[in-house]
Amino acid sequence: MSNYADIVVIADQIKNDLRPITFELLGAATDLAKKLGVKVQAIVMGYELGDIPQTLFHYGANEVFVVDKPELAEYTTLTYRRAALAVLEAMERPPHILLCGATTIGRDLAPRIAAYFETGLTADCTELEIGDYEHKGKADPAKTGLHKDCLYAIRPSFGESLKARILGPWKNPQMATARVGTMMPNEPDNSRTGKIIPVSVNFDESDFRVSVEETVYEVSNTVDLTQAKVIVSGGFGLGSADGFDVVRDLSSAFADSAVGSSRKAVDAGWIPYAHQVGQSGKTVRPALYIALGISGAIQHRVGMSNSATIIAVNKDEDAPIFQFAHYGIVGDLYEVAPLLKERFKTAMAGDVNVAKVGG
Amino acid sequence: MSGYKIAVLIKQVPDTSSKAGVNPDGTVDRARAKKMLNPFDKFALQKALEVRAEHGGEIIAITMGPPPAKEILAEALEYGADKGYLLTDKRLAASDTLATAYALYSVVKYLGDVDIVFTGLQTTDGDTAQTGPQIAERMDVPQITYLEKLAVVDGKIHGVRVIEGGVQKLTTSMPALITVANSAKPLEHKRFHNVHSVKELLRNEEELANKIFTVNLDDISADSSRVGLVGSPTVVGKTWKLGEKGGSCALFKGDAVSVEVAELVDKLKADERGIEELVQ
Ligand SMILES: Cc1cc2nc3c(=O)[nH]c(=O)nc-3n(C[C@H](O)[C@H](O)[C@H](O)COP(=O)(O)OP(=O)(O)OC[C@H]3O[C@@H](n4cnc5c(N)ncnc54)[C@H](O)[C@@H]3O)c2cc1C
Ligand SMILES: Nc1ncnc2c1ncn2[C@@H]1O[C@H](COP(=O)(O)O)[C@@H](O)[C@H]1O
Repeated sequence: MSNYADIVVIADQIKNDLRPITFELLGAATDLAKKLGVKVQAIVMGYELGDIPQTLFHYGANEVFVVDKPELAEYTTLTYRRAALAVLEAMERPPHILLCGATTIGRDLAPRIAAYFETGLTADCTELEIGDYEHKGKADPAKTGLHKDCLYAIRPSFGESLKARILGPWKNPQMATARVGTMMPNEPDNSRTGKIIPVSVNFDESDFRVSVEETVYEVSNTVDLTQAKVIVSGGFGLGSADGFDVVRDLSSAFADSAVGSSRKAVDAGWIPYAHQVGQSGKTVRPALYIALGISGAIQHRVGMSNSATIIAVNKDEDAPIFQFAHYGIVGDLYEVAPLLKERFKTAMAGDVNVAKVGG
Repeated sequence: MSGYKIAVLIKQVPDTSSKAGVNPDGTVDRARAKKMLNPFDKFALQKALEVRAEHGGEIIAITMGPPPAKEILAEALEYGADKGYLLTDKRLAASDTLATAYALYSVVKYLGDVDIVFTGLQTTDGDTAQTGPQIAERMDVPQITYLEKLAVVDGKIHGVRVIEGGVQKLTTSMPALITVANSAKPLEHKRFHNVHSVKELLRNEEELANKIFTVNLDDISADSSRVGLVGSPTVVGKTWKLGEKGGSCALFKGDAVSVEVAELVDKLKADERGIEELVQ
């Protein structure tokens, strides 16, 4: 057995619908747990949770703590906080690492748990790793020294175009929230199973200071950018809302595709917010991302730079997007996009055999 | 006094849309950078103004930062806040969100009997959205994060909160802490009258000292071992410039567009990137 405590993931669910981030967190936790030789545990809170714990096993959990109570039918900060604390305090020792989603639930709950335990929490991580850390600074002698197998919580620092590794190895759990769309889920394995650990919780009257009148939740409402294999995005260079016709048209050349957008096009009212890619929109990593008339500002880039192949079309040769796209065309998108579509269709469709040679 | 005692937490951040202090590689030189009021905090200020307009009371803007952060307190007065508090202290340097939340909580406690604390959703520099909820934990009060709309009725806050794929409608007692979503109502323009009186105020040191207060950790009886490096459970270990990878864009230009497109697609095929499988 490893010397380390386990890795715990807090499942993110709304109305008993497990959010995709839960699977992403389990994927990240699986990688981290392998490196440390420990188990992946999940905490799921709610009411009438049914086979949700089984689903968590399929996606990588070894053990699932279940708090199933009528008081938890709707998410509220204080009731879920109490339930999470009940699970964490019942453990023999604090988890090595505790992960939540950078969602409206995770970002609401995680800071309260971290403040309660007075432990570190890194927001909105895009990468999680394990490694050693030597703290050389002597200003706080309690921190100085070598720390083995810490959580590397890595996130972009948007204001400064930097990526930063944040560490807090002095106290467990080392906590982080993960940005939606940045971690890779495991392939589900329906034969996987594990240990279910029911946990009871004693609510305090003060936990009910917030009451929920209604939760309006529509899964289908959201454009599923994060699941698409191909994203064709339009930016301010489109010049008008009608420009998105060209974007949609190119997108239609691909199976499993979706339309994305920069914030400036959203702010201009050309397309709804659900299509926005970037720091304050979605993080995506499709197989192919085509950017039409997008300059490539850092806030857009952090949302799409992990795409496997990026093609940019921009009439300005110096546009920053050409610094990180894999392929670029300098030209007017209104000329290029229709030709691209035609060429993709004629030169590529049905040509799978040729392409697969050696691959 | 009738009405509510409302605290609004605001922060001064580098203005990255300005060229000043932004290095060619995109990194920021904080000393030279132009500064501004964190845009997310304007939504918080607007909500405070709405509650006061309906129910009366007092709006106190609070910021923690170096002395120039006073500028945004004056700006908050221009928008209609009643008072400002600057917490400034060398011992606060290198505070992470837990330490920052403790320091700001200490200011709120020092003010006493605050009914509602409004914060922005997040800052453009720290960008964690954690400070608000961590203050709420210290205060032992309920919170509503991502709040878009609110109404205060009979001493209760009725709020609409944004969630993935929808909204949650909820009610909470006071005191409470609220983080305001950036999809909430934008801040209204400054009133000429306020701008004018702030201008006057800035010329009159004595009166200014009755509106904008500067405090340090000792003034507010905060524990200095809970802030700064010592009070912060996290540190920044290493940084990289974004975009050091890649940089090898195959760029097609200059020829007729149809030639560029053909060349690009040929190269995609030659590179065996598997794009063929995606075309329908
Ligand atoms: C806190 C914060 C959060 C942000 N979050 C996001 C976010 O989530 N997502 C996001 O995208 N942005 C975000 N931004 C905004 C970001 O900084 C940029 O302003 C935005 O991405 C620019 O959008 P754009 O590239 O469409 O527009 P522009 O920067 O105006 O670029 C338009 C481009 O189109 C090109 N062009 C014009 N006409 C044509 C044509 N006919 N053919 C080909 N090319 C043409 C131009 O050369 C130019 O490069 C955020 C900013 C801040 C401060
Ligand atoms: N130094 C500060 N002074 C005042 N308020 C702050 C400070 N830092 C954060 N806040 C508040 O907390 C919110 C969230 O900030 P952050 O956690 O940095 O994303 C901000 O929108 C502010 O309302």
